Amino acid sequence: MSVGFNDQLIAVLPRLRRFARGLTGSAVEADDLVQAACERALSRAHQFQEGTRFDSWMFRIVQTIWIDQLRARDVRREDAEDQGAHIGTDEPKRRAEARLALEEVRNALREIPAEQRAALLLVTVDGLSYKEAAEVADVPVGTIMSRLARARIALQAKLDAGAGLRRSTSDVKAE
Amino acid sequence: MSRPSDERLIAYLDGELGEDERAEIARWLEQDAELRDRAAQLSESAALLRAAFDETLHEPVPERLLAAARGEPAAVVDLAAARQQRWRRVVGDRRWWAGMAAAASLGGLLIGGGLGYFAGSDPQLHGGVQPVASTEPPPGTFDATIAGYHKLYVNAGPEDTARFDVPAGQKLPQDFRVPNLKPWGLTFQGVRFLVVGGQPATQLFYTTDNKALGPITLVIGKTTEPDLAGKPGQSGDIHVLRWRHNGHAYALAGSADLGYLWNLHNDIAYQLDAI
Repeated sequence: MSVGFNDQLIAVLPRLRRFARGLTGSAVEADDLVQAACERALSRAHQFQEGTRFDSWMFRIVQTIWIDQLRARDVRREDAEDQGAHIGTDEPKRRAEARLALEEVRNALREIPAEQRAALLLVTVDGLSYKEAAEVADVPVGTIMSRLARARIALQAKLDAGAGLRRSTSDVKAE
Repeated sequence: MSRPSDERLIAYLDGELGEDERAEIARWLEQDAELRDRAAQLSESAALLRAAFDETLHEPVPERLLAAARGEPAAVVDLAAARQQRWRRVVGDRRWWAGMAAAASLGGLLIGGGLGYFAGSDPQLHGGVQPVASTEPPPGTFDATIAGYHKLYVNAGPEDTARFDVPAGQKLPQDFRVPNLKPWGLTFQGVRFLVVGGQPATQLFYTTDNKALGPITLVIGKTTEPDLAGKPGQSGDIHVLRWRHNGHAYALAGSADLGYLWNLHNDIAYQLDAI
């Protein structure tokens, strides 16, 4: 295995963690998932084809392991992030409100079916094209388009229902 | 063309449609206020979704994942995980920790500062948690961790403006002293808070136009280990030069040759009285 392989793996870790966090809804489970993906990637490094996108290959491994886990057990929804650590009592009110709005988005995402959630995270959060996301998910582009649309519509409906958009995006970004 | 469905509208917003269809939807948007509102809502919820997960990108990557990416044995990974989880419970959130850092002053960069926080010497600051790294990790692991953190932020790229907890030019704690490496052609870019060996540490990031020399990172933490003269190491293509002095551990990392790092080490040690 080349040194470059480890370097690429380290470089993509933050994005894998973000993807896994969105899939699992839990910081601890997400890191467990990424760790398992790293181990699997290293054991199958010979299967990676030079010249193809390393990040897509890793996203695919993360998603595959996650789906395996979903099939094998009921995923606990307990979330280490929900323990209040992120919202300090002395935070300015504006920042706390922004955090609540973002938490609302994360909660809404958890209610979206798994495959749609993955499509949403790959395209909307990570910025993959439909074609790239289709390769990660191993489905046709049309399927990604359809999953993504359903996910976006569902997310919109959940946020509208929960008044999640009471704060403007610019306010949240100002956080 | 009939009124665009949500699916087509979303594909339009994602830039996934061909030129003709894009033009058609643009015409619809011009004449249909309701459709424009719908597009705005969808754009806004997408932006919110990205914002909801963006902070994950800027969190320090747990050591157990860096170790896993390097293919290190499970026992090492598990220990790091346990340390990380204990630390998480105490620290909770990097912003809180950053506030604590400002209040408690920054380890090796103190000028006459009395409170150290890197090794849990103050039980109030650390919630009673004892230092977890009573022995230093194997040198190879340490070098790899430092090199991993170096690469992580080098690879983040200049467009990632949120990669620093305190960018250069923003207010640092009053007694925070940044080594001046301009004579070496290195420009200070910012500070990042990390966890190394289960303990908080500070990473200073310097860049240079000379790609053969930079960028360079300097990590400073607190240690209970005895003083150590400069000791070179390497992880992949990254050289690491580490030393300890008076309860603080220092590590320089970069792709520059060791002779260059050694000279930097001498200068930094002189400036910080860290030798």
